[in-house]
Amino acid sequence: MASINLVPNLSFNHFQTSSYLVGVGNLQCRVVFNKSRKKFPSYSCIRCEKKDEVNKDEVNKDEDKKDEQIDYVTVERPPYYSYMDSTSGQLEPASGARASIPEVEFWPEGTVEQVRSARAPVPTGESLGSPSYGSNPGSRRKSYRASGSGSGSGSGSGSGSGSFAEADVELSDPGLPEVMVEPQEDSEEFSSDYVVYQSEFEEKEEEVGYKLDKKLGVPHPFVDPKIKKPIEGTLTSDEMWWNWRKPEKEQWSRWQRRRPDVETVFLKAMAETGQVKLYGEQPTLTETALYRARRHLYKEERLQAEQEKLERIGPLAYYSEWVKAWKRDTSREAIQKHFEETGEDETTQLIEMFSYQTDREYRIMMGTDIRIQRDPLAMRMREDQIKQIWGGDPVYPTVNYIQDPDEVIDYRGPDFHEPTPNMLPFLKEHGKIISREELEKILEKQKTEQVEVTDIDEAMAKAVDIGENDDEEDSDIEVEEVEADEEEDEEKINRNWSVLKTTPQLRKSKSKPKPKKEGPMSLEEAVGDSENLTDFLLDFEDE
Amino acid sequence: MASSFPLYQPTPCFFSNTQFKGLRHGCLWRPTYSFASSAQNKVKPVQSSVDAAPFPLLQPPQVEESSSELEPVDPDFYKIGFVRSMRAYGVDFKEGPDGFGVYASKDVEPLRRPRVIMEIPLELMLTISKKLPWMFFPDIIPLGHPIFDIINSTNPETDWDLRLACLLLFAFDCKDNFWQYYGDFLPSADECTSLLLATEEELLELQDPDLASTMRTQQQRALKFWEKNWHSGAPLKVKRLARDSQRFIWAVGIAQSRCINMQMRMCALTQDANMLIPYADMLNHSFEPNCFFHWRFKDRMLEVLINAGQHIRKGDAMTVDYMSAQKNHMLMQRYGFSSPVNPWDVIKFSGNAQIHLDSFLSVFNISGLPEEYYRNEVLSNAGDTFVDGAVIAAARTLPTWSDGDLPPIPSTERKAAKALQEECKQMLAEFATTSKQDQKFLDSSPESTRTLDAAIKYRLHRKLLLEKVILALEIYQEQILF
Repeated sequence: MASINLVPNLSFNHFQTSSYLVGVGNLQCRVVFNKSRKKFPSYSCIRCEKKDEVNKDEVNKDEDKKDEQIDYVTVERPPYYSYMDSTSGQLEPASGARASIPEVEFWPEGTVEQVRSARAPVPTGESLGSPSYGSNPGSRRKSYRASGSGSGSGSGSGSGSGSFAEADVELSDPGLPEVMVEPQEDSEEFSSDYVVYQSEFEEKEEEVGYKLDKKLGVPHPFVDPKIKKPIEGTLTSDEMWWNWRKPEKEQWSRWQRRRPDVETVFLKAMAETGQVKLYGEQPTLTETALYRARRHLYKEERLQAEQEKLERIGPLAYYSEWVKAWKRDTSREAIQKHFEETGEDETTQLIEMFSYQTDREYRIMMGTDIRIQRDPLAMRMREDQIKQIWGGDPVYPTVNYIQDPDEVIDYRGPDFHEPTPNMLPFLKEHGKIISREELEKILEKQKTEQVEVTDIDEAMAKAVDIGENDDEEDSDIEVEEVEADEEEDEEKINRNWSVLKTTPQLRKSKSKPKPKKEGPMSLEEAVGDSENLTDFLLDFEDE
Repeated sequence: MASSFPLYQPTPCFFSNTQFKGLRHGCLWRPTYSFASSAQNKVKPVQSSVDAAPFPLLQPPQVEESSSELEPVDPDFYKIGFVRSMRAYGVDFKEGPDGFGVYASKDVEPLRRPRVIMEIPLELMLTISKKLPWMFFPDIIPLGHPIFDIINSTNPETDWDLRLACLLLFAFDCKDNFWQYYGDFLPSADECTSLLLATEEELLELQDPDLASTMRTQQQRALKFWEKNWHSGAPLKVKRLARDSQRFIWAVGIAQSRCINMQMRMCALTQDANMLIPYADMLNHSFEPNCFFHWRFKDRMLEVLINAGQHIRKGDAMTVDYMSAQKNHMLMQRYGFSSPVNPWDVIKFSGNAQIHLDSFLSVFNISGLPEEYYRNEVLSNAGDTFVDGAVIAAARTLPTWSDGDLPPIPSTERKAAKALQEECKQMLAEFATTSKQDQKFLDSSPESTRTLDAAIKYRLHRKLLLEKVILALEIYQEQILF
């Protein structure tokens, strides 16, 4: 019983079959099933109606009774997810092979063609002919056969001009009828045209060792050990280290190219403006590193100097630089005196002083005044240089979007393995270094030149600017200059480049009043002029 | 393409009507003449009048029974393509004594969108780009094969047929190439009607010296090419492609008559190519085609589509237009067939007699612009079959005048028509034989070669056209509006 309870379905089947034979089984079965139903109430039971058996009820009540008792079916959940499909109104499987296929309109692109081609009827019927493999075109046409036989008979009774043509055909390929009858012969006949490869191995030699391994896929060496030969002329790894040859093409991948980082571009720009001197076209890694180190050191030095100054002269004196309105004495003695008089200590006095500070002064002090060039070189960088670094878009850089300021230079270039060259002859060879004598020679030459140059310069400097002459020249050139101005403008932008680049109208309005005209100014010109004037004044103030 | 077929078969049942209905009922405005009635054979058995009919082309006379005589082709014909994913939907390939054709196997209601009847994958075709560099899809020519040098030596401007012929011959030699199987269903050399295969006598039979000389130069060209490249020292793998010049010239003929020029697109590559397309080349020509080709680039298949709105009955021949708006001699030169109902045919009149265009058109119920004249079904009687391509050709080619609403003067019109008729008769007289003699010859020698048949039919069709024009002018005189 216990076992039956555990597997109710099994027992159910068992009793169903057996109870036909044994009437006693009925009772047992019912008990069992009732019990099991109590024990497993989660099973949903369905009672099927069997109407045709109702008629039989009278015949044998025993069986009917038994049917009523055991005709419970447990319904398992279907093994797929289903949903109520509103279009079909039925419970539809959500996926899988039983899911209903949507209408043609909903089929994805190309499915219609696939289905159509799959549904196309397969050709049936047996062919009578056999292919001639290109040697005998037209051989499987029906009319060919007819006309072939026809031409055979027709050539005998040939009439008029037709017979000639037929004779011609007959001459050109006399072997046609035979070919048609026996295509085998034809292939033999032409077999001499082809190189015949031996397609089968005569002897099936037993494969052992490497071949067998390879065939079976057992682990085996790549190269057949029989064929394998040691490679000659190899060096040991130690020898390799010292005999390393530079590869022929140094950069065989663009990833080996030095990325234009900020420092290189800056250095190049500095070299262009003459602030530093570079040896090559491109700054080397060392130069770049040197630049970076110097920049860092200079910055540190500046900061330190400021700090020292602050400590030396005291905060009030230090910060009064940015408070123009503070006319009082800021020396340490004066502060001390003031403290003694009023009891305001240094900090209070500082706060007092800052209350006189204007907005503009505050901005300048904090370094947030955009009109002041912080790093003149960076501001002056040309657009192509900027693009070189960031790819043109400062917000979403397309180049160098990973900017690691603390990136450690990887000195291992493609010539990493090369032994350090003897620098002196190398530099001499390339003209980077010269001997002292040569240098002196050059210097002497330069001295003499310089003298001449200074002469000219002085003459020019001393020359009195005669107005007439100048004016005439100007008026001559002016027309050309107007055109040239436009181009110059591009280079002249040294501040607010982003604003001015994006809105060229601003620049134009400024450059307009340059060619001076006689007569009263128009309104626009006047406005532009005044703008210029204010700019100028502002600049003046800042400085 | 398929060498010879019924080209133009609107309704094959009207020949028994041998009456001038227009004469009977003089007031009847629309002409209902039957072609066979007037000039030709007044009392001929139906059989021969069928032969004289304009519609069946290039067929030996007994063929006309052939519309019923068509039998399905060898089942392998479709099977070899089917296993290579070529598909034909609702069409049968049938074979008559005059060649292959494609016929509808069921009725097709007019559809709003074109209906696909065939799909042919690119893999089955032979294609060469029209221009340098030569590109082959599928690329069957191995690297460094001498056949490529031969193809490369051709003139890029003119020798497309030679290139295609080389490719075809090479495909015949490739192991397991589809064309090895398909070649068995191409017309063989003695079944091909291409005039490249015609003898000198047959060219003379054309009675058209211009065409004959053109074909002669073409033959010479192909022969010279063969001699140049298939000399005794040629490598074996080239030499075995065409052992004799006959085979090469046959291949050129096949290339000429079966080439389909299409623009195909594969991914980003768009290419104009000369293509040999199996199965699609079995479609016959018609001047009013019911099918067209379309390149489906997605899976690189050529689709043959039924024209949108075309009603097709079971057993109708599926046709395409091989060359639009070409005269008979062009068709003859390239495909080896001609048609008496070619609406584009031209007769050169030298006299200055002119008839009134609008009244001529209205007599025959022809509508449309000059480029696209068509017989207006609505205006004309149902049983009327006189107006066919030949009459449309006449409307195009007859010297006409038209001056606004100015009506023609009947007497001058008649005179002009008579003059034109005279001119046509003179042209007819210039031919060595009459159309009846030609017809008789065709009837009497069913065993003549295909090319001879084609040549004789060509001159016959010329004469039939002239006769038809004479007849049309006759009717025009009768029917001219007073």
